Amino acid sequence: MAGILDVPKPRINCSMLSQFISRAICFVGRVEKVHPTGKMFTVMDGEGKTATVELNEPLEEELSGIVEVIGMVSNKGEIMASTYNLLREDKGIPFDLELYNEALKVIHDFPQHYPFQVAASG
Amino acid sequence: MMSDGRHTLSSFMLSTQLNYMAEENLLVPNCVCVLKRQVTNVLKDGRRVVIILEIDVIKPADASDKIGDPIPYSDGQSKGPQPAPVPESRPPLQPQNRNEGVDTNLKRNFAKKIPSALPDTPGGSSKIVPIASLNPYQSKWTIRGRVTNKSSVRTWSNARGEGKLFSMEIVDESGEIRVTCFNQEVDKFFSLIEVGKVYYVSKGSLKIANKQYTSVKNDYEMTLNGESTVIPCEDSCDVPMMQCDFVSIGDLENREKDAIVDVIGVCKSVDELTRLTTKANREVSKRALSLMDMSGKLVTVTLWGEEAEKFDGSGQPIVAIKAAKLSDFGGRSLSASFSSTMMINPDIPEAYKLRGWFDKEGHAMEGQSLTEVRGAGRSLLENWKSLADVKSEHLGHGDKADYYSCIATIVFLRKENCLYQACPSQDCNKKVVDQQNGMFRCEKCDKEFPNFKYRLILSANIADHADNQWVTCFQDSAEAILGQNAAYLGQLKDSNESAFDEIFQQANFNTFIFRNRVKLETYNDESRIKATVMEVKPVDHRDYSKRLIMNIRSMGAK
Repeated sequence: MAGILDVPKPRINCSMLSQFISRAICFVGRVEKVHPTGKMFTVMDGEGKTATVELNEPLEEELSGIVEVIGMVSNKGEIMASTYNLLREDKGIPFDLELYNEALKVIHDFPQHYPFQVAASG
Repeated sequence: MMSDGRHTLSSFMLSTQLNYMAEENLLVPNCVCVLKRQVTNVLKDGRRVVIILEIDVIKPADASDKIGDPIPYSDGQSKGPQPAPVPESRPPLQPQNRNEGVDTNLKRNFAKKIPSALPDTPGGSSKIVPIASLNPYQSKWTIRGRVTNKSSVRTWSNARGEGKLFSMEIVDESGEIRVTCFNQEVDKFFSLIEVGKVYYVSKGSLKIANKQYTSVKNDYEMTLNGESTVIPCEDSCDVPMMQCDFVSIGDLENREKDAIVDVIGVCKSVDELTRLTTKANREVSKRALSLMDMSGKLVTVTLWGEEAEKFDGSGQPIVAIKAAKLSDFGGRSLSASFSSTMMINPDIPEAYKLRGWFDKEGHAMEGQSLTEVRGAGRSLLENWKSLADVKSEHLGHGDKADYYSCIATIVFLRKENCLYQACPSQDCNKKVVDQQNGMFRCEKCDKEFPNFKYRLILSANIADHADNQWVTCFQDSAEAILGQNAAYLGQLKDSNESAFDEIFQQANFNTFIFRNRVKLETYNDESRIKATVMEVKPVDHRDYSKRLIMNIRSMGAK
């Protein structure tokens, strides 16, 4: 777990999953369905596409709303989560997932202006 | 110059449609040709000029010289052979016409015949010339075009006298031209001419266009005078409705502000009619509508006056606007000015294409707006600038104050002298003079009071990524920044200085949206830019993000 926190984790959405296989990423999306075992759930990104998140331990709490997942992308395009973070809907400004998606596109369209790799390794 | 073997006459001219013959050297000296069609005009001095409408070369020029021994022809004479004059090439009377040839006595050999007293055909009253070919050097022409725009009658009165005028634009397949009528012609033609109808116009006078007054694409403009005629034309199907050079809405970002453009799009939504009062205390109606085209971009168009009142946006009609003014208001927006022409569901191919696209896919598109539209009225006034822009664009240097909005962080607050004692009267904020006897005098109200109210004048330095700026905040904005009201602050200052300082510490390094006013002020020969905060608001991150993304995208597109 410590390992993944030291590494730069690009923010991505579903359409970029295939480009980041076996890499650490950060995914923000809205929780859709939680698997009965509690070890898996689906998330929807700002474009309306869905991805599957797998956890190491089953969930202890109810998960709903916007969640930020940090993990690795498996060969099958699923996110193997190391940790997750629920964005509280009762506090602050409501999170605009579509706008977040637009920002994601900008970051990926202009990587020369968003050198995250450099920042993390320094 | 032409000769029929007996006489020569140098007043032959090729009509413009035959210019190619001269350019391609089909008519060379000593070639033999047959004149098939011609028109003879009699000039004021009695000379005759023959305009050749159709001519066939039947024998190319040999190396040999001219046939026969012709002499110059003079009216009414038929002299015997004389020493043959050298057939010179005369400089043409009109730029395009040049002709030299020799004619044998075949068929139409009119140079010798008695010239028929042809009535002065005015360059062919039945011959229409294209609007694009009009120029000040030809006076006998007729054009056929559709009136696309007619202004109202305007009167003027100046040192040289007074008068009235109206103007219109007329278009045909070749182009368009602006036409103005003054005084008597206004009476003659104003009621006759209707927008959308086709007319024959002839004998107007042409001059170089004054581009200041019009965006019509023509180097010349026309004035109708006493000799001009305007005749309605019945057969108008092939005259186009409008000459438009549409710019795609997505392209508008790349155009300069104040440019005049033609646009066409689907009216996706339309606002209610609003009325506002101008600085001249005139009431004017306005209505905003949002136009979208196949680029997927939306732009807000503002209509004024009657057009705003009459506009019906139901059914998402196709709207085309000619000569709309592009402004950088809210990013990019369009305004239909008095010289713009708006057409709803026009009968042109672009409109049908748009309708088809919209019905299939366009209606479901969200569209990305080039104009910042957020709520009613107010936000349309925003003029987002970075603090460096404010300085580099010299905002405030003009006669009037300039207003702009920015997102900036407070980096310094001056807590000394931020409070002053003001007149306690309701609407008076004038500083009172401490009489030192427990009374405070207000000069404005001309009264003394036993008390006063504290008011804030806060001097602050705000900064963004580009630059910083000293600004002055008055009561309301100062209270918003400090998070306390003036009375409480006044009290704290006198009683608990550390608590007072703490408030300023807390207020520092907060980021807000500022709406500022800048103006050049002169104090005793010295001019400085003074900036005042009109309003302070917390940052709306969503709105800010959207704006940033829009700016990034438009910068990226360049």
